[in-house]
Amino acid sequence: MSIKSIFVFENLKPKKIVEVSLVISLFGIADAIYLTIAHYTQATILACPTTSFINCDKVTTSSYSEIFGIPVSILGLAFFLALFIIQLPIFWTSKYLWVKTPRIVFVSIGLISAFWFIYVELHKLHAICLYCTGIHTLTFLSFITILLASENFQATNKKA
Amino acid sequence: MASNSNKANHNRVYGIIAAAVIILLLIIVFRSPTTSNPNQADALAPQKLINQITSVPTSVSDGVGNGSTTTKASPISAKSYLTSKGLPQILYMGAEYCPYCAAERWPMIIALSKFGTFSNLHTTHSSTTDVYADTQTFSFHDSTFVSKYIGFTPVEMFSNIADSNASSGYTTLDTPTTAQQSLMSTYDAPPYVSSSNQGAIPFIYFGGKYLIVGASYSPQVLQGKSYQQIANSLSSSNNTIAKGMLGAANNITATICKLTNNQPSSACTPTIMGLESSL
Repeated sequence: MSIKSIFVFENLKPKKIVEVSLVISLFGIADAIYLTIAHYTQATILACPTTSFINCDKVTTSSYSEIFGIPVSILGLAFFLALFIIQLPIFWTSKYLWVKTPRIVFVSIGLISAFWFIYVELHKLHAICLYCTGIHTLTFLSFITILLASENFQATNKKA
Repeated sequence: MASNSNKANHNRVYGIIAAAVIILLLIIVFRSPTTSNPNQADALAPQKLINQITSVPTSVSDGVGNGSTTTKASPISAKSYLTSKGLPQILYMGAEYCPYCAAERWPMIIALSKFGTFSNLHTTHSSTTDVYADTQTFSFHDSTFVSKYIGFTPVEMFSNIADSNASSGYTTLDTPTTAQQSLMSTYDAPPYVSSSNQGAIPFIYFGGKYLIVGASYSPQVLQGKSYQQIANSLSSSNNTIAKGMLGAANNITATICKLTNNQPSSACTPTIMGLESSL
């Protein structure tokens, strides 16, 4: 594979992109499961860290770690599970618009959420959780792969 | 034609990805404007307010008992007890920006006032950009405490005024002495606290016998409340703020009573002595 083929995505086969995207979703599921377990099991104290900017406890137990009482990690887990399902081959080959459009909308909502949580970590909590950063990165990669796969499937269908 | 259309679609995807990257970079470099008001931090606390929170009827505080306290003092066995002039010393290390310090100062003032008298307490608030933003509280900076039972040394290390050049993100207030820094390095670290909480504040050292790291109750209950609303809420043992704040104050009082051998009796009431057994 040449360097050009990595950046010129029209050379990539849609199937390969989807496979990569499915693997990303699996990593996201694993990371979210870890964060959910950490949310419920980590004993933490109500304190301000003075030394460590990398502080998962502060992030996963902060007031921002729950939305309407639901841990964000569980929402993340649900997000990646749903992302995995809607990227199964049966859904990619569907010709119905109601399958295609929500997929992009869904991953876009995930990306916007990731942006919000990055903002909260950097500017509200002044602490970073590397496992959360992993989730944000995987969401960003999912966004790219779904965009690429969507465009390439569209191009393939037109050629056909 | 189809090729041109595909190229346009691909360029659109590149554009969307580039826009997402730019948004991400903007989030990273964006700095929230601080709305901290230094003048508010400098205001001398009204004596009426101090009197109100330090004269909560015993029936109310006894009614709260342990309340909703989440963190109690942990016993430690320091090599040498911290004393001055024969009195056990309590060391507090915190910062004005810290919302957990903000929450903890209220019960500390309530508890310590049972053993002595504060003067020159100022009102302030936690950071307006941190979690539990703008929690209303007092500052120990420049305050004095006189007691015939205990000594109290507060160190407010940082203000609530943002300073992008400072490592903490806030301007420096009180610089700890080498001895204070040494105590914090030793006891605000494993095995006394988890490694991820090493150096956390508030750090309260009770004469080498007990230790509290962190707030004793959640600052959540104080969110959006003014000083007066908080003070007024202490009149009922059923109030959520009272349960958190007076419960914490009772446990801090119990910890101090352990240091003073239950002196004075006006502070170390039967209810407080009952809490001592759980320390």
